[in-house]
Amino acid sequence: MAYDDLRSFLTALDEQGQLLHVAEQVMPEPDLGAAANAASRLGSGAPALYFDDIAGFTSARVALNVHGSWANHAVAMGMPATTSTREQVEEFVRRWEDFPVPPERRADPPFAENALEGDEVDLFSVLPLFRLNDGDGGFYVDKAAVVSRDPQAPDDFGKQNVGVYRMQVKGRDRLGLQPVPMHDIALHLDEAERAGEDLPVAIALGNDPMISIVAGTPLAYDQSEYEMAGALRGAPAPIATAPLTGFDVPWGCEVLLEGVVEGREREIEGPFGEFTGHYSGGRSMPVVRVDRISYRTDPVFESLYLGMPWTEVDHLIGPATCVPLYQQLKEAFPEVRAVNAMYTHGLLAIVSTAKRYGGFAKAVGLRTMTTPHGLGYCKLVIVVDEDVDPFDLPQVMWALSTKVNPAGDLVNLPGMSVLELDPGSQPPGISNKLVIDATTPVAPDARGHYSQPVADLPEAAAWVGKLQELMSRK
Amino acid sequence: MTAPRKEEVAMMCPRCAWQEVRRLAVSPVAGVWEVLQCARCLYAWRTTEPDRRTRRESYPQAFRMTRADIDAARELPAVPPLREGA
Ligand SMILES: [Zn+2]
Repeated sequence: MAYDDLRSFLTALDEQGQLLHVAEQVMPEPDLGAAANAASRLGSGAPALYFDDIAGFTSARVALNVHGSWANHAVAMGMPATTSTREQVEEFVRRWEDFPVPPERRADPPFAENALEGDEVDLFSVLPLFRLNDGDGGFYVDKAAVVSRDPQAPDDFGKQNVGVYRMQVKGRDRLGLQPVPMHDIALHLDEAERAGEDLPVAIALGNDPMISIVAGTPLAYDQSEYEMAGALRGAPAPIATAPLTGFDVPWGCEVLLEGVVEGREREIEGPFGEFTGHYSGGRSMPVVRVDRISYRTDPVFESLYLGMPWTEVDHLIGPATCVPLYQQLKEAFPEVRAVNAMYTHGLLAIVSTAKRYGGFAKAVGLRTMTTPHGLGYCKLVIVVDEDVDPFDLPQVMWALSTKVNPAGDLVNLPGMSVLELDPGSQPPGISNKLVIDATTPVAPDARGHYSQPVADLPEAAAWVGKLQELMSRK
Repeated sequence: MTAPRKEEVAMMCPRCAWQEVRRLAVSPVAGVWEVLQCARCLYAWRTTEPDRRTRRESYPQAFRMTRADIDAARELPAVPPLREGA
């Protein structure tokens, strides 16, 4: 089941009991942020939230926590809401192999219904903007797909980027933009600024659920997010041509902003409560001038709450973060079994691998840090044996507690790159990185006493089935 | 850049105590709230938000910002050098 827009996904969530319509009137602050904050504390089955009576607004529609649980993520994938995390990640990896699936260009996108241009542009007249956390510098657009092109290769479809970057609303036609240097839009902006030019952008808000997922996925620079969306949804991604920039944008989006990142401009931005569970601090960041707003009639404003993990963004990005690391590691090391990089976007990653010889697991850990995503994240890599499930944290803790001798199992690397938002980095963007080898030493590494593990009894598997059946009859 | 369409309102920025505040928006239902913004630190708030976000005396120390903070804010990303001939 592939959804072409946000509305059809919300309908599917509703049909599966995963959409909570809050009918009472709420205040824009603190109610909307607090409700989404609370939803992220409801566990793996938390619903999406839908509000349509917000004080002071006449026709505001706000959707929150849309990807905010494993149940919702499964529905986005077209799977039963009860699918386990590991199964969802495995299915994600399987569909990823179908890349690339070319998109389907469609005419008459719904966002063409209404438009504001030039002096009419007023973000506040179209979007029911609101604040999330107490210390945020203002109202944010934090779940939009930002489309930009490589100024050196404007016709290269693969190098066109679709990414999620947080944007502070700074005026009726003005947004602050945070392009993390590791991300593709930062490369595009760098090219434009070296040439003394502005960087055109198209910003799609309220997208079908797979666009939001791929826009948050660390793909290779020349891989198309639309071709990946096609693979992951199992049908070509519908795209449309943006009226002002001519960029390729998600056909089904609720609102489309077009304009430019003003070249060589920086302005105070933030702070903003981030996915790290810390505020980002105020920095001097690029600015977007919005020249045109296209929008569906009565658009649904989709936003997500960010703060102390886990929140919606962790479910949104979690599986996607695991896959490229798994695939890139697998290319070099077929022994790799599974990767769990779902903690704080992969600042910590757990890799399960078989070994060829002593020291091998440490090499796998080091390679994790030098993958494109690892360069900006993967500050801590825990490497575990092939029979340890990296998604089962009690198993991982067992490996850490019994397989690690700090005398020989820690590789501490100074002066490595990490994204600047890591609150532990000093200076921002630079950190030591640590590989923890929690695998059993193999020859010629002869440390420890691991020759007598306790194995499950041969009869235990049959008993698992028998006990489950007895439980189900209760 | 389009000309700023700002309207001055007499008020103090809760975050940096600057006294030049502009009105960004008013509620579509008349008279319910306004969205205001500090012209210096760009902090924006809705008039119906709790005091801890809207009143200088209640605004938490940890989130306050000074002129020095703004001047010292690091560029992210840094503006690169112009290419020769650009
Ligand atoms: Zn201020």
